[in-house]
Amino acid sequence: MRLKLKDLPEENIFSSGHTACAGCGAAMAIRNIAKVLGKEIIIYVPASCLSVFNGLFPSCAWTVPYHHTVFENTGAAISGLSRAMKRKGLDNVTVVGIAGDGGTADIGLQALSGAAERNEDVIYICYDNEAYMNTGVQRSGATPHGASTTTTPVGKLTKGKQDFKKDIPLIMMAHSVPYVATASVSFPLDLINKVKKAKETKGFRYLQVYAPCVPGWGYEQSKTVELGKLAVECGMWFLLECENGRLKINREPKMNNLETYLKMQGRFRHMDEKQIAELQESIERKWEFYKGYAELTQRLYGGSEASV
Amino acid sequence: MRRVVGSNYATSHAVMRARVEVIAAYPITPQTQMVEHIAKFINDGIMDCEYINVESEHSAISAVIASQAAGVRSFTSTASQGLALMHELLFSAGGLRLPIVMGVVNRSVGSTGGIWVEYNDSMPQRDCGWLQMYVETNQEVHDMILQAYKIAEDKRVLLPIMICSDGFILSHTVEPVELAEQEEVDEFLPKYEARHSYLDPKDPIASGIVTPREYRQEFAYQIHRAMLEAKDVIGEVNRDFADKFGRDHSGLIETEFVEDAEVILLTLGTVTSTARGVVRELRKKGKKAGLVKVRAFRPYPAERIAEVCKDARAVGVYDRSVSFGVGGPHYLEVRNALFDSDVPVIDFIGGLGGRDVAEADVRSMYDVLLEAAKSGKAKRNIEWVNTRGVVLG
Amino acid sequence: MKEIIFHGRGGQGAVLAAQALASAAVFEDKYAMAFPHFGAERRGAPVAAFARIAEGRILTKAHIYEPDYVIVLDPWLAGLVDVAKGMEGHEGTSGGVPMGSVKTDICQGLNREGAAVLNTARRPDEVRLSLEVCVGTVDATTIALETLGHPATNSCMLGAFAKTTEEVSIGSIEKGIMDVFGERLGEGIAERNVKAAKLGFERTEVGMCSGGREFPAQKKWLPDVDELPPGCVIRSQDTEYGKLGPGSTVQNETGSWRTFHPIVDDEKCTYCMLCWFHCPDGCIGRVPDKESVSVDYFYCKGCGICSEVCPVDAITMVREVEG
Repeated sequence: MRLKLKDLPEENIFSSGHTACAGCGAAMAIRNIAKVLGKEIIIYVPASCLSVFNGLFPSCAWTVPYHHTVFENTGAAISGLSRAMKRKGLDNVTVVGIAGDGGTADIGLQALSGAAERNEDVIYICYDNEAYMNTGVQRSGATPHGASTTTTPVGKLTKGKQDFKKDIPLIMMAHSVPYVATASVSFPLDLINKVKKAKETKGFRYLQVYAPCVPGWGYEQSKTVELGKLAVECGMWFLLECENGRLKINREPKMNNLETYLKMQGRFRHMDEKQIAELQESIERKWEFYKGYAELTQRLYGGSEASV
Repeated sequence: MRRVVGSNYATSHAVMRARVEVIAAYPITPQTQMVEHIAKFINDGIMDCEYINVESEHSAISAVIASQAAGVRSFTSTASQGLALMHELLFSAGGLRLPIVMGVVNRSVGSTGGIWVEYNDSMPQRDCGWLQMYVETNQEVHDMILQAYKIAEDKRVLLPIMICSDGFILSHTVEPVELAEQEEVDEFLPKYEARHSYLDPKDPIASGIVTPREYRQEFAYQIHRAMLEAKDVIGEVNRDFADKFGRDHSGLIETEFVEDAEVILLTLGTVTSTARGVVRELRKKGKKAGLVKVRAFRPYPAERIAEVCKDARAVGVYDRSVSFGVGGPHYLEVRNALFDSDVPVIDFIGGLGGRDVAEADVRSMYDVLLEAAKSGKAKRNIEWVNTRGVVLG
Repeated sequence: MKEIIFHGRGGQGAVLAAQALASAAVFEDKYAMAFPHFGAERRGAPVAAFARIAEGRILTKAHIYEPDYVIVLDPWLAGLVDVAKGMEGHEGTSGGVPMGSVKTDICQGLNREGAAVLNTARRPDEVRLSLEVCVGTVDATTIALETLGHPATNSCMLGAFAKTTEEVSIGSIEKGIMDVFGERLGEGIAERNVKAAKLGFERTEVGMCSGGREFPAQKKWLPDVDELPPGCVIRSQDTEYGKLGPGSTVQNETGSWRTFHPIVDDEKCTYCMLCWFHCPDGCIGRVPDKESVSVDYFYCKGCGICSEVCPVDAITMVREVEG
């Protein structure tokens, strides 16, 4: 049964009164994800915006057990929590790690890879706002090409990030874990049903959620959802789902409106035609890759449609 | 059961008997056999525990902090670079007051070092909120793992603890060890009941949430106080253990011939055994030499040291690591303990990078001490033992 | 030496303003320093910044407890918004760090010979604080919205500070803004901020406010060493200081952060629940009886996402006014 919005409970697992910025995409993602996951969970949060806006001691937005230590150990910490739950006979409890893109793509990649390779029985959620927002917008491996950050500034020599976005979902698919999916705060039903599927799956589950950031991306705070939609439309973000090796594309991008998407954000405003063309080319290549990869895995692992 | 085993085996056996529930560890020489023994125990079906084959020491300590925070008795072990890699998380374990036990097989860290014993891995960790105990024999390693849980889990302490043993000298040397039976360990060490930190959706807690400056200093003071309380607990647990198992490791320190000693050498780790032989030999020659084996480095038994050394005319300190430009870290502790005494205190730095500390080296330390006792002053406070181009005394 | 505290919200630029003021003073051959309240606050959360101006080198590195001047970038922070819409009946304290603190006594420790520079639409004689002091008032939010397009009131309030206190000239303030804002935000934005500062200078009214207003004392959980739970572990509990532990953020009045608030038209609402889902703060409640939604203004930060995602334009954003 696919979840509908009305199926989500009114009660918050992640409480109001948290201190995320107005219009925060991460807060939007996390409070809804938590509603799908329910109360029988344990949350680990590494250093991230979330570790601050979920409250500082003795305050806490989480109504469920919460653990935090450092930045780069989410994969390891949730492994320890999951094994402890097994020892305590709490098999019904889902252990969930929620990290930012820096904590996932960069400093936390090793621990994430280790936990995935061991197929630990956990859910790892990366909220992807495409830079280190907690420390004030420095580039991460997940920052897209061209984006201006405080460490890839628009200067005389170069303008914005010269490298391309690291494809973590693909790296996770290469770990052959039971469930890898991407989602976006702008596609509610897709998001909540992926969380539901993750919850119902055993073993290592990875979900990367596109979560626009008002101060980091430089846009009008009411436009979080619109930006997320445009990102999927233009191919800057794909909605994918890989179950037991079989990749499915949940939404075919129109591959247009890249410029509209870029011009809405301060971080891309400097981009000239050449840079935009480079970016366009890279996302088209990526799209061709994923189409082919979906077809290939359908053939290898069986299944019906390559896309919906 | 008495068997001839190395310290890694002795540790693994004790961990099994302590009914540890989650272990996460990563192999590193000279600790590697420990992860192998435990893997075998589990695979042979004689040990029931969750074993996480992590991809680094950083993840090993992260995982056991999480499992211990969740309320489950946990263990890890490492050495050298691995301990350095864990450094960041050691503060979390101490700060969260988690009674984790870690077996540290001492080995030098960093360049100009190899795989052999030195304390420059564990000494820099002394301010992370962990108890640290140094041991002399494989039997003592085994016994201290069992005692460590009882010390760390005591509600007056609630701090993690490192049991430090000399790489190769203990890990790869087999000696007879009395391996504890399950029933006797169960009587000595009760099942862990998590009272302050556990993670269960039925009674939610927030553990380790970012702490603003309004609270940090009080938390730090609590750790400081718990560390001081641990001095009593170490003694009590030692007595309990001696009553149960008939082996008395004498708590914070152990002494030989100190009552009338004119010169006293304070040692850590396996050099103690060699020094025991030398001090007996000196006594036979009529020299009033004494020996103190310092077992607890954190908390440091400063009052006991001051008491034992009060009538000595020269005090020597053996150091297996250096605080560059200052002296050995152990020496600094002893100077602090003897702050109001006029007795000459001499640091003997030696055995770095696994260099052997032979009877002759220990004899030379006593020679320097006897000379200082006679003259009433030290020629030099920091002596380098068996170091080419550096003259001792 | 003159000591200045800036009260603002994350995103209003209190820290940048303090730095620009220090720069302005240095342009007048004085010595100055500026520093933030070293927090990790997000946009909207109450923040403070500090500045000192002196003729010679300043030695102290401590916080400021007895300021000569306070500059309040947000009308809510000075308690000028008496009752925020929909916030009646909520308990506004936090176990830990005061978060909402709608009514802060910004005159605490204030030198009676000093002044308070306030962002408010009121005239000085319409303002009531705990002390009867000199105040400069200016409707900085309106000026910021006009000149910058968003309510970053920092530069405008620097203009108001120059007018109220005459500690630095408006010319130096302009130089300070070009120096500090220019470095961080670029020359174009700095120029718009200079314009906001000039308007702030021109429109500021200076006079005496009335005093004697009582502010409830901040209740804060600061247990002694023996009462603090060891190991940074905290359970959910109600104390005389408010809630602690899991779920305790519910007492944070994040509603005091906003500049605009949403109004729902029940007639138009189709109960699609998109606003309910997309609200980052959980402010939208489902009202099944009416097949409509309600807004909890206690938490609403005024982001306007609900209004954007509404497919039938049932939600409009309305500028917050002083009560």
